[in-house]
Amino acid sequence: MLTTFLLLPLGGAVLAAFLPHDRERDARWIALTFALAAFAVSIVMFIRFDTGVEGYQFVDSFDWIKAGDFNVRYVVGVDGLSAPLVLLLGLLSVVSVLVSWNIDVKPKQYFAWLLLLEAAVAGVFISLDLIQFFLFWELELIPMFLLISQWGSGRRLYSATKFLIYTLAGSALMLAGFLVLGFEAGTFDIARLTANPPTEAVVPMAAVFWAIMLAFLVKLPVFPVHTWLPDAHTDAPTAVSVMLAGVLLKMGGYGILRIAVPLMPEQAVEFQTVLATIAGFSVIWGAIITLRQTDLKRLVAYSSVSHMGYVLLGVSAMGSMGFAGAALQMFTHGTITGLLFVMVGLVYERTHTREIARMSGLMHRVPILGIGMVIAGLASLGLPGMSGFVAELTTFLGSFEAHPTATIFAIFGVVLSAGYILWMIQRVFHGPATEEWKHLKDASEWWEFAAVGALVIAIIGIGIYPAILTDVVEAGVAPIAAIVEAVS
Amino acid sequence: MMLPDIPEAAVWAIYFAPITSFLVVVGLLRHRPLDAGRFTIASIGVAWVLALWALDTVIGHDGEAMDWAAHHWFTLFNFEVEFGIRLDGLSGVMIFVVTSISLLVQIYSTGYMAGDGGYPRFFAFMSLFTAAMLGLVMASSLLQLFIHWELVGLTSYLLIGFWFHRPNAAAAAKKAFIVTRFGDFGFMLALVLIWTKTGTFDIAEINHLAHDALSASVLTGFVLGLFAGAAGKSAQFPLHFWLPDAMEGPTPVSSIVHSATMVAAGVYLMLRFFPTVEAAPAEVRDVIAYIGAFTAIFAATMGVVATDIKRVLAYSTISQLGYMVMAIGLGGYVAAIFHLFTHAFFKSLLFQGAGSVSHATNTFEMPLMGGLRKAMPVTFATFVIGSASLAGVFPLAGFWSKDEILLDAWNHDKFLWLVGTAVAFLTALYMFRAIFMTFFGEYKGGAPAEHGGHDSHASDAHDALEDDHGHGGLHESPRSMLFPLVALSVPAILFGLVAPSGFFGELVEGALPADLRHFHFHAEMIVIATSTLAALGGIGAAAAIYYAQSPRSSVIRGALGPIPRVVERLYYVNEIAEIGLVRGALYNGAARGAALIDKYVIDMAVNMVGTITKLVGDILRRSETGQVQSYTSVYILGVVGAGGALLVLAGGLLDRLMP
Repeated sequence: MLTTFLLLPLGGAVLAAFLPHDRERDARWIALTFALAAFAVSIVMFIRFDTGVEGYQFVDSFDWIKAGDFNVRYVVGVDGLSAPLVLLLGLLSVVSVLVSWNIDVKPKQYFAWLLLLEAAVAGVFISLDLIQFFLFWELELIPMFLLISQWGSGRRLYSATKFLIYTLAGSALMLAGFLVLGFEAGTFDIARLTANPPTEAVVPMAAVFWAIMLAFLVKLPVFPVHTWLPDAHTDAPTAVSVMLAGVLLKMGGYGILRIAVPLMPEQAVEFQTVLATIAGFSVIWGAIITLRQTDLKRLVAYSSVSHMGYVLLGVSAMGSMGFAGAALQMFTHGTITGLLFVMVGLVYERTHTREIARMSGLMHRVPILGIGMVIAGLASLGLPGMSGFVAELTTFLGSFEAHPTATIFAIFGVVLSAGYILWMIQRVFHGPATEEWKHLKDASEWWEFAAVGALVIAIIGIGIYPAILTDVVEAGVAPIAAIVEAVS
Repeated sequence: MMLPDIPEAAVWAIYFAPITSFLVVVGLLRHRPLDAGRFTIASIGVAWVLALWALDTVIGHDGEAMDWAAHHWFTLFNFEVEFGIRLDGLSGVMIFVVTSISLLVQIYSTGYMAGDGGYPRFFAFMSLFTAAMLGLVMASSLLQLFIHWELVGLTSYLLIGFWFHRPNAAAAAKKAFIVTRFGDFGFMLALVLIWTKTGTFDIAEINHLAHDALSASVLTGFVLGLFAGAAGKSAQFPLHFWLPDAMEGPTPVSSIVHSATMVAAGVYLMLRFFPTVEAAPAEVRDVIAYIGAFTAIFAATMGVVATDIKRVLAYSTISQLGYMVMAIGLGGYVAAIFHLFTHAFFKSLLFQGAGSVSHATNTFEMPLMGGLRKAMPVTFATFVIGSASLAGVFPLAGFWSKDEILLDAWNHDKFLWLVGTAVAFLTALYMFRAIFMTFFGEYKGGAPAEHGGHDSHASDAHDALEDDHGHGGLHESPRSMLFPLVALSVPAILFGLVAPSGFFGELVEGALPADLRHFHFHAEMIVIATSTLAALGGIGAAAAIYYAQSPRSSVIRGALGPIPRVVERLYYVNEIAEIGLVRGALYNGAARGAALIDKYVIDMAVNMVGTITKLVGDILRRSETGQVQSYTSVYILGVVGAGGALLVLAGGLLDRLMP
């Protein structure tokens, strides 16, 4: 099943790429079909996921490279940690295709890269082998680089390159760390490594831990390795922003919980205060810089820095509640920030500017977009009844005992988030309607409604009934928490 | 007491009735405004009838909580989240207050909001507000209370910003949400703290544990955290300054959200946790009492100088909430609820009276009114009743409830009693000043519909279909608006009379553990005499100032030096908070500094690493410059790095294999 989930977008990408030139506009239908099919598979997987079973489910594997003692295997599977992320990926990929509906510059290449991106991220979330994980991790860079640099705006080449350099710098270290771990333990299989993690290596384990962590922290991102994010977001096309904020950042948080913490629990526990400090600082830093932003998209981008700080805070608590909070926050942030970027994209498509100062009273002209933005904004500021609240609360409850100061900082971030979100809404949507925006047309296309509707349903659905996620997440993080508790 | 006990499902129906009307109005009646209003009134009417049944049931149980188990919502490890109803004397009274006032306000709104383009949206938001408020007062767990607390904040935001095209309204809405959120920061800390220490959110259980199982420091942190939340919602100093601005919302909103119910939620929260507050160190209660007392007198002085009738009422609300908070700090549980209860009715009445007045004059500015007594006899009579009740004139409702607070102060802290009595004087003064300016003398002409003041009603309803008021002669408001005024006059007059029987005190004390029930009605002649004198003195002073007219008042002003100016500028709290702290320290200070550092230090450092890498890359590749090259060179560096690591590794392995 998971292999199907991986191959569907890949197949779609190939098909789109080989469309005859005169039918290249049809690439979007291919993309939508395959993205929907993959989403359907992820839903079936999520429903059939059995929270009572230990270990990985839906496992597919075969030997890939046989080199003496070291077998590099293709092995995929999900547990309660990755299953929600696979579902999130399925959902956001469909949304990304929908919001790209009007792409007319080289559409077949565009949709092929977009689907390849989905496949690469899927590979990261379901790989159960370090080398395979690394390959998918790197594979994701190619479509991202091309999508930003070809279909972006502004300083797109600069931003795409910056994104690339950051990730590569991190992943070089990550690979080195993986190799040390793998050779030391004699396997690259994540499940086996998790069961018997190496406790010492040729280099100090702390160095291995930070080498791997750095790659994940860059991806998350947190202060001070976050500055690639606003640039990449601002210049990326809407769909890429949705994918970037929605699922790519989660690769960082996922990597920490899947690899860094369970494989090196002693180091994770040892450095938890450092992580908590970075997290708390990142929340506040991201939030106050968000206050200063004058570009709508940059504002949303910086808010992600603040919100991903919660993920790290939850992780740093090194306990079941904190991990659960982090896992929930990854999913909910994916839906909420996804929606924020969709709304920003739809507004930009109409106004052709993202300057907040130039806008006013858009609620009069585009009330549907306005309501969508208000819903996304309220979810982002952690309003109860929407998905973000449960995730943030769980994180705080999990982290307060271990790291009270960092938690207090993080809670203050919630106050600041109300500030930047509501101020943005006031400036862009409220106030008198101006002549300049008189011609704006409200959302009317089916794909606009489908994209926005799907995310709103996900946000409010989880907000009202969090048990959809919590049981699965609990099953996923409990074994990790057990590993950590055993060493602390 | 004739009815059987209300089943739990019927209490849930009270909560779901306004949710239903919200969903129906949003989903089906968006384009049928009149039906939207009718459906909302019908739903809340049903809720009101059920609320009477609930009240009857708790009276039958002497105010003790109904024994209903909570319902499972979700579980995450040992974090079990449940939803339940706590129906007891305290929440029973609150449910009754919320549904009664909501029902009357909806009826009033059919007149006041008639012709507004956003009419269905208004009723949808009001339904949502009512549901959130009911959820707040029914909650059996702190988390459930907090969730509704935030939703109430959301609906307040939506309703203050109802006329979002007006920059003032949009700014006021944002300000209200953020300032209250500031208080909620404390609330959230309290939430996280109490769960970390006790592992539960159940209100009854926390109150029970507070008695002996929690340390003084935990109790101090928890109670002060809750109080920060309460201070935000109930507009206590220094988080009070959002409330006057909230008057930008439509007047029916002020009449329920920002006077009778939502702003009382902070007081309700502290009452809900009264056993915990009592268990906290005495200093904590002193903090609460003194902040309440300071807020009471501080806001009252601003009420004396305001010229906008709604703002007078807003300051009055802040001041009266301060009274209630002071009562809580003094241990006056019954007094605080009783005042909350009577205040809800007469303050709602007063706001509706102000709305009725502006309906005729298109303004809230009292200097533009005057002489309305003859044209608007019903509004005038009900406004006087409300004001007299608020001022504490015997035997109206406000007299009894205020007296109980003053009695608690007299018994515990004579200084606070003095402050409270001074507030009683100021209250009578500003209310009767408002009455004289609005209803007596000559009509000053109001404001023309199109040039109305920023608060003007007619300019609000910019899409007005019906504009029969305005330039023509003054006229009384329509019946839909007069009925609620008259209906609210009844509790404003009579509801105090339940005090001497001790019935109300016993009912609400039923919600407390047995050892905290010690209410018995008691009258202290000196307290009654001084407060009555203060009230009459305030009325007399208002009359004297009004009839002596401007020469004398300018003499008074001159004698007071800069004080009146400082008061008129609201003690510059707005300036300090908004321009000083938010704009200055945060936006132009910390945020600006951080943004600059982010751009010129952190990002620059990264770019420098990139540049150096690129240089290395150029040397390595000896190729032309360009960004893509640096990508390649970093890749090479990465591979080199990984290869180096591999070598080290291989070396290590070799060492091991071949010692």
